[in-house]
Amino acid sequence: MQWELNTEKPVYLQLVEQIQAKIISGIYKPGDKLPSVRDLAAQAMVNPNTMQRAMTELERDGLVYTNRTAGRFITSDEELIKQLKTEYIAAIVQDFLDKMKQLGLGSDEIISYLNIIIENKK
Amino acid sequence: MLAKLTKHELYATGRIFLPLYSIMLLLSLINRGFSSIGELSSPFKTLKGFMVAAYVISIVATLVITFVIIILRFYKNLMSDEGYLMFTLPVKPSQLINAKLIVSFLWNILSIFVVATSLFIILGTSKNLEMFRGLLDLAVTGLKSTFGSSYPILIAEYIIMIFVGTIYQILMIYVSIAIGHLLNEHKVIGSFAAYIAINTIIQMLVSIIVLIWTNLELSIFTYTPYYGTTETITGNNVNYSVSIVQAITKQIIPFSIIFSVLCCVAFYLVTNYIFKKKLNLN
Amino acid sequence: MSVILECKSLTKKFGSTTALFNVNLSLERGKIIGLLGPNGSGKTTLIKIINGLLVPDTGSIKIAGMNPGVESKKIVSYLPEKTYLPDWMKVSEAISFFKDFYGDFEEKRAYDMLHRLNLDPTKRLKTLSKGTKEKVQLILVMSRRANLYCLDEPIGGVDPAARDYILNTIITNYDENATVIISTHLIADIENVLDEVVFIKEGSLVLHAPVDEIREKEGKSIDSLFREVFRC
Repeated sequence: MQWELNTEKPVYLQLVEQIQAKIISGIYKPGDKLPSVRDLAAQAMVNPNTMQRAMTELERDGLVYTNRTAGRFITSDEELIKQLKTEYIAAIVQDFLDKMKQLGLGSDEIISYLNIIIENKK
Repeated sequence: MLAKLTKHELYATGRIFLPLYSIMLLLSLINRGFSSIGELSSPFKTLKGFMVAAYVISIVATLVITFVIIILRFYKNLMSDEGYLMFTLPVKPSQLINAKLIVSFLWNILSIFVVATSLFIILGTSKNLEMFRGLLDLAVTGLKSTFGSSYPILIAEYIIMIFVGTIYQILMIYVSIAIGHLLNEHKVIGSFAAYIAINTIIQMLVSIIVLIWTNLELSIFTYTPYYGTTETITGNNVNYSVSIVQAITKQIIPFSIIFSVLCCVAFYLVTNYIFKKKLNLN
Repeated sequence: MSVILECKSLTKKFGSTTALFNVNLSLERGKIIGLLGPNGSGKTTLIKIINGLLVPDTGSIKIAGMNPGVESKKIVSYLPEKTYLPDWMKVSEAISFFKDFYGDFEEKRAYDMLHRLNLDPTKRLKTLSKGTKEKVQLILVMSRRANLYCLDEPIGGVDPAARDYILNTIITNYDENATVIISTHLIADIENVLDEVVFIKEGSLVLHAPVDEIREKEGKSIDSLFREVFRC
C-alpha cells in the first residue's frame, strides 16, 4: 500500500486525495474496514493528527463513516463512489486538456493522438 | 533515589574493584602458600620470586588504583557524555554527589581492610602473631602512661580523623573537577590547577592558624589534663610535660577534625553550586 | 493544562556569544514539533535548558507549569545527539536502569521494540555499532510515557531505512497528551510528520506555525521555505 506524498501541498489534503484514489480504484472496497488512524499514519509516515484531520474530511464528504464500537468503514454507497470517480476523472482529464491546449493542440488533434498512443500500447 | 543511585554506583565501580581486590587477596594466598613450602628447586624459585614481586605490585596497585578510579569515575560519569544521562535523571545534583561520595568512601576504607587482610595472610604465622601481640601490649602500655586510662578516646578521635580525612580527600578531588569544568577549554588541566591551588591555599591557611595559635599566649600549657587523671609519675616536671602532650593532642586532633570538616562542607557546597547553576556539558 | 512548554524572554549567553535571545515560545500538548535551524542556531541550547542541563541567564521557562528540576525531569524524555549510555552496560542493564529511575518507563514496550529489531539484550553496548547504539537509545527514550519528548538530531547521519524506523517509532508512539520536539536540520525527510515548525535563526525565534498552514499560504514545502529564510 504505497502512499505518494509530496512536500508542497498540505499533508491532510494529499491524504484525502490518496484515500479517494484508493476508493475509486477499488483498493479500498465499499464496506471495507479501515485500519486505525495510528496504523494508517504509520503506513503513510505522517502525523496521526493529520491523518485524523483527513478522516474528518472524508467523513464529512460521506466517503467514510464511523461506527462507534466497530471502527471506521468505507461507505457502501456505490452511487457516491461512482460520483466521486466521475469527478476525479473529470479533474484529471481537464488538467490533461489544459496542458494539451498549452501545447497548442485542438480537440481533434488531441483525440487522434490518444487513439494512436492507445493502439501502440496494445 | 539516593539509594538507587548508590546501588548503581556500587555496581558500576564494583565490577572493577572486586576483581582487583580478589586478585590481591589471591596473590597473598599464593605467596603464603609458597612460603610454607620452604626450599624449592630452581624453576619454582623463580616463580616464587615472581609471585612476591607481583604481590608487592598488587598492594601498591590496590591503593593507587582505588584512588585513580575514584577520580575517573566521577569525571567520566558526570562530566563527560554520561553526564547527559545522569543530569537528566529526576534527581537532585546533591544526590548525585552523595552517591559517589558514599561509595568512594566505602571503597577507600575497604581497600585499607583488604591490604590489612592480605598482610595478615602473608605474615600470619603463630610466631608473628605472638610478636604482634607483644607489640600491641607495648603500645597500649605506652598509651596508658602518656594519656591516662581514657586513651581509647584518643584512638577513637584518630579513627574519626582518618574517616574525615578520607572524605576530605575525595571531596577535594570532586570540587577540583567541578571547578575545572567551569572552563570552556582545557577542563582537565583546569581541574589539576584547581587541585593544586586548593591544596596550596589550605596549607597556607593552616600555617597561618598555627602561627597565630602558638603566638597567642594561650595558657594551654597549664591545662589540667583532659583525659582524666594522669598516672602520677614523679614530680611536677613530668606532669607538666605530660600535660603538654595531652593538651596538644587534645587540641591538635580535634582542631584538625573540625578544620577538615569545615573544608569538606566548603568543597561540597561549591561542587553542588556548580552542578546546580553552572553546568555546561559539551 | 494544554500548554506543555512555555518560554518567556529566554536568553542564554556563553561569554560573548549569545546562544539564545529573547525567545518566546508556547507549545501545546499532542503535537509533533520541528525545531529547525542550521547548526549553531541555538536549538541544542534550548533543548538543554528544557532538560535542566543549562540555566538561562534571563527569562523563564516552564514545563507543564513547573520550573526545570526534579519534577520536570520526571515527565521529559530526552534523546541527545550523542551516545550517553555507559559503554560497559549490557542492553538489558540499560533497560533496568531506566526502569529504576523513571516511573513512566514501560519495560515491555522496550523489549518489544528490541525484539522487532533483532537486537540481543545481552550484548554489551560497546560491542554495538554506532547506528545500533543510537537505536537502543531511541528505544529507551520512546519507551517512556513522558509528557514531552526532546529528540536532538535523531535522524542525522542515519541510513534511510533507520530513518524510516525512527519516524515510524515516533508516529506509533504518538500520544495526544504528549508533545514531541524534533530538533534537526534535515527537513525534507520529516516535514510530513510534523504538526508545527519553529525556525530558530542565530538564537532568535523567527517563525512558529503549523505545517499545513505554511504550505497553503506559501504554496511551498517547509524545506523550500527554510532555504529561503536561512539563505547564506
